[in-house]
Amino acid sequence: MTELLTRTGVDGTVVPAPAAVEPDRPEEAAAASRTRSRSWRALTRGRGLVGLVLLGLVVLAGLLAPVLSPWDPLQQVPGANLLRPGGDHLLGTDQVNRDVWSRTLHGIRADLVVLAVGVPLGALAGSLLALLGTLSGVVDVAVQRLFDLLLSFPTLVFAIALTAVIGPGTWTVVTVIAVLETPVFGRVLRSAVLTVTAQPYVEASVAMGAPRRWVLRRHVLPNARDPLAVQLALSLSLAVFVEGAMSFLGIGVRPPAPSLGSLISDGIGYAESNVAYVVAPLVVVVVVVLGLQLVAQALGRAARGVR
Amino acid sequence: MGRYLLRRLPSALLVLLASSVAIFGLLRLVPGDPATTLAGADAPPEAVAAIRAELGLDRPLGTQYVTWLGDVLTGDLGRSYLIGGQIADLVRSGLVNTLVLTAAALLLAVAGSLVTSLLWARVERGPLDSLLTSVNTLALALPTFVTGVALVLVLGIVLRVLPTGGTPPAGFARDPDIAVQYLLMPAVCLALPASAALTRFLTEALRTELAAPYVTTARAAGVRSSRLLVAHALPAALPTYLTVLGLQAGGLLGGAVLVEAIFSWPGLGQLAAQAIDRRDYPVVQVLLLLSVAVFVVVQLTTDVVHAWLDPRVRIGGLT
Repeated sequence: MTELLTRTGVDGTVVPAPAAVEPDRPEEAAAASRTRSRSWRALTRGRGLVGLVLLGLVVLAGLLAPVLSPWDPLQQVPGANLLRPGGDHLLGTDQVNRDVWSRTLHGIRADLVVLAVGVPLGALAGSLLALLGTLSGVVDVAVQRLFDLLLSFPTLVFAIALTAVIGPGTWTVVTVIAVLETPVFGRVLRSAVLTVTAQPYVEASVAMGAPRRWVLRRHVLPNARDPLAVQLALSLSLAVFVEGAMSFLGIGVRPPAPSLGSLISDGIGYAESNVAYVVAPLVVVVVVVLGLQLVAQALGRAARGVR
Repeated sequence: MGRYLLRRLPSALLVLLASSVAIFGLLRLVPGDPATTLAGADAPPEAVAAIRAELGLDRPLGTQYVTWLGDVLTGDLGRSYLIGGQIADLVRSGLVNTLVLTAAALLLAVAGSLVTSLLWARVERGPLDSLLTSVNTLALALPTFVTGVALVLVLGIVLRVLPTGGTPPAGFARDPDIAVQYLLMPAVCLALPASAALTRFLTEALRTELAAPYVTTARAAGVRSSRLLVAHALPAALPTYLTVLGLQAGGLLGGAVLVEAIFSWPGLGQLAAQAIDRRDYPVVQVLLLLSVAVFVVVQLTTDVVHAWLDPRVRIGGLT
């Protein structure tokens, strides 16, 4: 019963499942394009727009990191130990004389890579597995048990176990995120498939001899897009958490390369000398999480038809 | 009740057994040979072979697994390669700290969610509802390390009212006032997301009950609204709440790994991080098995309590 009620959120905590999306009715022929414009409208006004702007700023900062950084993120500047913000160093320097502003920008870049590879990889794997499950009952049960197994491990215990086997590093973080996201997306897609295939109009088109692939493309995927988009925003949030948490445990992106998580986990130890060292990456993470949350809410409301 | 437990027990044991095989196998896939690590880089081959024989690493994998499982079941967790000492001692001291932290967090999460939900369920609109929604969403969304570091920064470093980390030097029992000071920030940090999730579930459940016909009837019969909430809606919402609480309790143990790292709390999570850092696989192995065992027990307890509260589950009409 809990399966129906819940899905796993940040840090393995359980949060209420998003309300089931009402499938489009058959008489509305342009269902797909209508959903697209509805989501688009949600993202170009109100809280969706605020979220998108926040995310855009951070992504831009990450992409332009090499241009915006006055220093090399790994360069140790002689005599500049734990300087406070000001002068040559906008946000001061860290414990081994590196520029905090440049390191924060490159840290954003590292997180962008982890997020942009890990989450879509997991989404793809989960969706494919879920679709595979719709082909036969036996496969479906096997896939469901696999998802249960993956979800049953606490997030960080799983991260620790995997790191123990393949060793720490950026690609380990990506793998952990991808594997964690697989069952999450798999379940979202599966429930969308089950909801839509139970509709009389889908039954009708199957009875009239519509090929499986046509039903999938015409009915199932358009209805799965909204919940998948909401889940994508939430999952990116989870990925930020996983990267940071793994850095705190010393199994994240390898030093000396910066990441948002490792900057925060190192910076808090030197907060009395240069408080900007920890506050700068902390603010970036809060902005990213807030932005993703706003986008997820806007998409979720649009999908439920709430203005 | 006993019969329900008996029905659930075999599958729980099967999960445990399968996990033990998986964990044992997983750590045998790890590159690098513990005997070589122990002996040192330029030790003669005979010395490495001697250590390998002593650890039983030269025997077939199946034999190794059975020996290991037998030892673990009889309470002999083995010796740590690198940290030194008996694993049982390491685990015991870490376990106490982790349990204190998790129990405190669980208490806070339950208290916080009960109070908030009973308040929130009655206001469905207006500024208080918006405020609670925002706070709840934020508490769910912010990563634990953000709240943790922010707490340390403000309360520990700027205001200097609470210690920034570690466990109370005199232990938990001797000086409760000091112990609470050390416990407060990590416990709040760990409890926050769990409490927010519980609050959301309980509020939803309470609102559903309050909208049910039997509540309308009771209201028409003149039952006071506070009594409706506490004596009618709350008991009806309890089975759902307890199920979620069980899931959250399992999640708290996972979350504790991170909170321990943020607050230098010497629990099992710290032990695991240390063991991985030094590639001390016997320790990692035991800790992973322990976390699966805890998860299985929590799950089983949740199901049994759920069955006890809801006869439909017990009889098998609802799974």
